[in-house]
Amino acid sequence: MANPIKPDRSVVTTCAYCGVGCSFKAETYQGRIVRMIPWKEGKANHGHSCVKGRFAYDYYNHPDRIRTPLIRKSINDPWREVSWDEAINYAASEFKRIQAEHGKKSIGAVSSSRCTNEEIFLVQKFARAVMGNNNIDNCARICHSPTQFGMSATVGWGAASQHFDSILQADVIMVVGSNPTEGHPVFGSLMKRRIRQGAKLIVIDPRHTETVESAHCNATVHLALRPGTNVAVLNSIAHVIVREKLYNETFVRERCEWDEFELWTNLVGSDRYAPEIVGPQADIDPELIRQVAHLYAAGPNSAIYYGLGVTEHSQGSTGVMCLGNLALACGMFGREGVGVNPMRGQGNVQGGSCLGSWPHVFSGYRFVTDAEVRSSFEQEWGVPLDDEPGLRLPNMFDAALTGHFRGMYIMGEDPVQSDPNQHHVIAAMKSMECVVLQDLFLNETSKYAHVFLPGSSSLEKEGSFTSAERRVNRVRKVVEPLAGYQDWEIVVKLMNAMGYPAHYNHAGEILDEIARLSPAYKGMSFDLLERIGSAQWPCDENAPEGTEVLHTVKFPRANGRGTFMLTEFVPTAERTSDRYPLLLTTGRILSQYNVGTQTRRTANSLWHPEDVLEINPEDAHVRGIKDGDWLTISSRFGSTRLKAKLSQRVNPGIVYTTFHHAKSKANVLTSDLSDWATNCPEYKVTAVEVVKTATGTVSTHQHETFEEAAA
Amino acid sequence: MSETAHPHTGTMGEAVLDMERLIAMANQIGDFFAPYPPARRSEGIRNHLRTYWDPRMREALLNYINTQGGKNLHEHVVAGAKALIDTGTDKKGYYGPPQV
Repeated sequence: MANPIKPDRSVVTTCAYCGVGCSFKAETYQGRIVRMIPWKEGKANHGHSCVKGRFAYDYYNHPDRIRTPLIRKSINDPWREVSWDEAINYAASEFKRIQAEHGKKSIGAVSSSRCTNEEIFLVQKFARAVMGNNNIDNCARICHSPTQFGMSATVGWGAASQHFDSILQADVIMVVGSNPTEGHPVFGSLMKRRIRQGAKLIVIDPRHTETVESAHCNATVHLALRPGTNVAVLNSIAHVIVREKLYNETFVRERCEWDEFELWTNLVGSDRYAPEIVGPQADIDPELIRQVAHLYAAGPNSAIYYGLGVTEHSQGSTGVMCLGNLALACGMFGREGVGVNPMRGQGNVQGGSCLGSWPHVFSGYRFVTDAEVRSSFEQEWGVPLDDEPGLRLPNMFDAALTGHFRGMYIMGEDPVQSDPNQHHVIAAMKSMECVVLQDLFLNETSKYAHVFLPGSSSLEKEGSFTSAERRVNRVRKVVEPLAGYQDWEIVVKLMNAMGYPAHYNHAGEILDEIARLSPAYKGMSFDLLERIGSAQWPCDENAPEGTEVLHTVKFPRANGRGTFMLTEFVPTAERTSDRYPLLLTTGRILSQYNVGTQTRRTANSLWHPEDVLEINPEDAHVRGIKDGDWLTISSRFGSTRLKAKLSQRVNPGIVYTTFHHAKSKANVLTSDLSDWATNCPEYKVTAVEVVKTATGTVSTHQHETFEEAAA
Repeated sequence: MSETAHPHTGTMGEAVLDMERLIAMANQIGDFFAPYPPARRSEGIRNHLRTYWDPRMREALLNYINTQGGKNLHEHVVAGAKALIDTGTDKKGYYGPPQV
């Protein structure tokens, strides 16, 4: 008998979970995946892997996978199985009808960081060239849009300045609002390797995370700041650097705009950012702020790694600018071991950002208002394009409620579960006339959809991902798409059904189109990736095999210089009160991934069967809460239930949960506040109250039933 | 579940977004640019509104300023929004500090 654990075929591909972008050999036996072996030649992971990439692949073949297109006239009707042609034609005719009745701008599209570069690029082409508007956004809106804004403002490009291996040259590692040992485990291991060799570790995070203290990780300094005080604390670190003249004047004079530097020193150097003033606001010892400033400025190589703890605030973009300012002031750019690096949550957040899935920019972060850039796209696509920015994802929902937005194409996203202020999102979804959802499974959003197009997992398609280190890695088809088509093929069908002729023989032709229209991707092609495995952008005639470290000679700004932004601290409008005295913040854990659509459908769920609320024993005691008690958590926006976990990882006044399970409904609680520049939601700060509740009671705010979406 | 199919709270013709939300968003942008010298402050706001806001959102804000005199809006936000009319589409969008 054939041995089922002895595979008969092997394909090298890229893991779709976090932004590290590990390479795996996906091994199959009689057309089914039987194991994922981390690939030694992978330039991001060098043969390493985590429990998600290694084991959590079975979701692709889960019985819940939808294999036939579904449609219905009203969200109150049951789904009806139809042919691909009927579903595509129905979606196209509805979109055309809505546009005829309510105008060109009454529909839009959203793409996902779980999709390939080629698919993301096609979805924005679908919006711009076929729908004829710029109502195109992607899920980076709700995670790393402030990175694009804040980094573009200071250093020119919204991307990591380094490759991952660069950390092996770092003397001081500063991790801000990120927990790489859980969220980005393979990079977390690399970081630990460097810490074992003696690098110092600074962690800025409200919670005593595994990165602060675990095997091989022990932070030299941990600033356990109060959620919502990032900008004040980062300005305070800068204050010490400026007042004690710890900055690198040579670097600033040679590489940066000196006038802006002086303006900035006046701002952060003012008394209101002294550690003695900021410390009490942020609940941290002022002396620790001074220590961080001394450590970071002394380097010699100091590297910043940050995550959603920086971006998901009403001052998210300002927080990113603070990091850019700090690194510029101390000369921490342009060589190995330094830099500012966003930790990207999903496999292709960087690709989503690069490839124009934004209402205001084409690929390469170039404004749609720029006539020259626009004309290059018009020539390639053969149609006139909208010269005004479109609606952002949260604004699409807002406009749905005023009747200005009535149809939406969503590829690989579950905004009802993942977006903030869930009641508001649901009301918006209900007011739309045609929601077309393309996904692997029915999810929270599909409850409000009219057309469901069964998509393909990353194991069923050809294309590429761009990881958090700007590395473009090939995604290869390991098994045939379960519902018949790769996602990019479905978009092409929709384009044609809407009356725009489009044809690609294979995904590589889409990457060729990306290369023609995006300077940083100019040299990318399937051929190049076949030959050298992977390449980091910018990849062009000057760097035919890509670029590991950015900003070595100049910054990609008009005058080639880095610049400083004025980052005044503006406290969030979300405040604690007598009624909501605790601050809720959120995060994730090693074995599960984001909203859990995939990992909850694998045996990984045994490690994390439910989300819990971490609460300090002091706060629990005064509320009569014991470990394992059921709690009702309420905010100004709604309430939900979770089990209590008493934990010293959170300080008094702070509670924490993960959001891996739909039934937890963490986003019923989150507010409608968002980043000033990008509308990235303020997930990380919500004022709440917690009360002990009897098992099984459902709160009065709760008008959704607790449904278990997962099997 | 009992849902009405299309319970619009507004009808076409009203502002594309709820006016209170637009005012809050505009003031948040104003807060960021507040530390810059006055001319750069309003230029920062102008550039941001021009390059990031859907034209219907800008129009709603300008209408509001014309009819309500900028009530509840920071002064420099009003100046930045009004600068949109003067510069129209002449000035290219840019990243980084406000340029005057």
